[in-house]
Amino acid sequence: MSDQEKKAEAKKDETETKSDKIDPTKIKKVSEFAHDCPLTTCRVESSGHYAFAGAEDSNVYRWDLESGEKVALIGHESWIRHLEISADGKWLFTSGWDGQLGIWEVAGQATPIDRPKVEEAKTDEKAKKEDKKKEEKKPERLLNEPPEDAAATLAPTRMIVAHDGWVRACRMSPDGKTFATCGNDKLIKIWDRESLEVIATYAGHERHVWHVAFHPAGKELVSFDLMGVVKVWDLESGKEVRTIDGGIMQGYDNKFAADMGGAREIQFNSDGELFACSGITNVRNAFAGVQTAVVGLFDYKAGKHLRLLGDKGGDFQGICWGVRFHPEGYIIGSAASRGSSGVIWFWKPDNEKPFHTFKTPGGVRGMDMLADNRRLVTAENDGKLRVYTM
Amino acid sequence: MQRDIGCNVVDHLVSRRNFMAGTAGALGFSSLTAPTVAKELEKKQRRVLQIFLQGGVSQFESWDPKPNTKYGGPTRKISTSVPGMHIAELLPHTAQRMHHLSIVRSINTKVNSHATSRQIMETGRRVGEFPFIGAVASKYLTPENAPLPGYIHISTRGLSKQSSAFLGAKHNELRLEGVKPPTNIDRPKGLTEENAKRRDALRVSLNSRFATRGQQALTEAYNSSYEQAEKLMARKTLFEGNMSDKDLERYGKHHFGRNCIFARDLLENGATCVKVTHHGYDTHAENFNFHLEQLEEFDHTFCMLLDDLYERGMLENTLVMVMSEFGRTPKINVRYGRDHWGSSFALAIGGCGIQPGAVIGATNKLGTEVSDREVDGGHLFHTYFHALGLDSTQDHDIDGRTIPIGDPAMAPIKELLA
Repeated sequence: MSDQEKKAEAKKDETETKSDKIDPTKIKKVSEFAHDCPLTTCRVESSGHYAFAGAEDSNVYRWDLESGEKVALIGHESWIRHLEISADGKWLFTSGWDGQLGIWEVAGQATPIDRPKVEEAKTDEKAKKEDKKKEEKKPERLLNEPPEDAAATLAPTRMIVAHDGWVRACRMSPDGKTFATCGNDKLIKIWDRESLEVIATYAGHERHVWHVAFHPAGKELVSFDLMGVVKVWDLESGKEVRTIDGGIMQGYDNKFAADMGGAREIQFNSDGELFACSGITNVRNAFAGVQTAVVGLFDYKAGKHLRLLGDKGGDFQGICWGVRFHPEGYIIGSAASRGSSGVIWFWKPDNEKPFHTFKTPGGVRGMDMLADNRRLVTAENDGKLRVYTM
Repeated sequence: MQRDIGCNVVDHLVSRRNFMAGTAGALGFSSLTAPTVAKELEKKQRRVLQIFLQGGVSQFESWDPKPNTKYGGPTRKISTSVPGMHIAELLPHTAQRMHHLSIVRSINTKVNSHATSRQIMETGRRVGEFPFIGAVASKYLTPENAPLPGYIHISTRGLSKQSSAFLGAKHNELRLEGVKPPTNIDRPKGLTEENAKRRDALRVSLNSRFATRGQQALTEAYNSSYEQAEKLMARKTLFEGNMSDKDLERYGKHHFGRNCIFARDLLENGATCVKVTHHGYDTHAENFNFHLEQLEEFDHTFCMLLDDLYERGMLENTLVMVMSEFGRTPKINVRYGRDHWGSSFALAIGGCGIQPGAVIGATNKLGTEVSDREVDGGHLFHTYFHALGLDSTQDHDIDGRTIPIGDPAMAPIKELLA
């Protein structure tokens, strides 16, 4: 099947499914976009025009989901841990392991890459061998260089040194006026969205802060650290108001004498009664990736852990990286296994076993849902950004 | 058939002197009786501090970062106190003390097995049962009247204890699981000191008779365990973990912090070789998070120990090495892990006899192979002992058998020696 035929098929699938009820049990892949190294995380803007993914080459990539055009966002000096898009959909915020927060125009005008004209393919064997030798001798692509399949590059509007050590996450407030970041300096910072100035700093975690999320009412913020300590902060006073025990999502590996835990993502449901954290539990041999991938579901008001949502078999070894509440009431989680594959799970909030499990070709390190609530975008560790429809 | 499990220490004093290089070679032997001279020489006793990063620390995340390259991962490099020398950003405190240390970046053991690569790095031999660095140091650097066993290994969990090979039980590691006395260090209740002495005299007498029947190696091993126990009982307070708040504040209250304070105190109180194992580097998954956690703990604590050795005038007589059995793969696996890699890795070394601030050898741009001055555990083994003033090209004399101390096919890294 040619590329054009594949696109037509995907389009046909899309059109067909649009008229149907959203059905997670009918999830299937509709398109994929390739990169030459593993992806680390992803985000899709609300119109569904662009999807963004961080990669193990320290760049962020923007894919036009219609045309497939790939633009390299170059500006970080290390890998990208997390992506966030402003409430108005105009700005992308990139959290880097270099301690920097990058701010980019979502639909920014990219600069086309001027590449030398590709020579016509050689036919004789000798010439082919020479070409192969040339290819082998070609120096490895350095980071901060676009790959050959990128059509253009986009520079950041701002790069800000946000934390001492990695910036692990950046999340927008519900009203879009502020955002929060957290990092390895054990701090949480609240920033003014317009001025990009820090307006408050919260200290209190004793280990690295892995993720943060604003409560939908906009008055409180939760933060989750390596040890599963969940703190609730009052945004007006800037004080820590309570702690929730998320220790079930942390473990100490006795053999290797190290802690493993932390929330890879935190999401609230729409009314703010529940929040879900993607991560791990039951650490057995953390250094070989032997722990159970789960989503921890918490009752926000009661301040307690409700249940762990996991695999049907109970022990999917790997890490759950992504979680979303679907407006129809179920929870979607995505994980990377110890091996090279991944999974997308669908749970009812009151049942720890999924009502549907979908296997993905690559381990899923990032997942986002389009505004149509039908399509999911994943960043997978085989270097592919995939779009699935339900 | 019985193995050689010990040799007569007194018989070998002379031959031992022969292969001690330079004036330091004769340090600390019992023939030196003038109190002031003995005290001065005791202060100059050459010692070894071995920090073993168990599991294989990643060279990319420590001594040989490759930022901005295919396999470099997210780790960046930082400047150090030595102009032009860079190490990984995960070691900011160590970076400021690199003028005390050097780096060897071109180690290739050619094996990816924990046990085999550890054997090569510890014994300098690829095959055969040979003594570990600490056992050799114990045998040749420990004064006869040393107040503590020659080779003490502090580790929070069990590892193989067979480390002295043919050098005998006296030089095997005394393994301590953290800061606590060895088991059974106390005299049994109801046994008075006087009775204990009489009992011990009887034991020595019986052993002497037994030894005349040709069982000398066995009785010596037996005697040495008693001698070691006596030393430990006399220094019991050292093992009780009475650490000052100031030390705990500086080093950290975690196991590694306490173990390093303990190591400092043991070295200061006459131990010859102290090895401290820091666990948690076998990172087949989540390599970057685990190195961040483990090296953060290592970095700060190790620097406090290095500072204390320097400030107390001990560093010039203490060989300090930070090593692993191997490094980790350039390729990052699907679990964000790095696997075993013995083909191109690194260590840091400093103190006694070592030129500080040097970088020996190099790997290629991607870190996939050694590109300059390839060495393996054999070269390093010779280097350690030359730095300590012991000619490792000489032989052990084991009941008349001669066994080369270092691998005869290898030589020290001369440009690393002071």
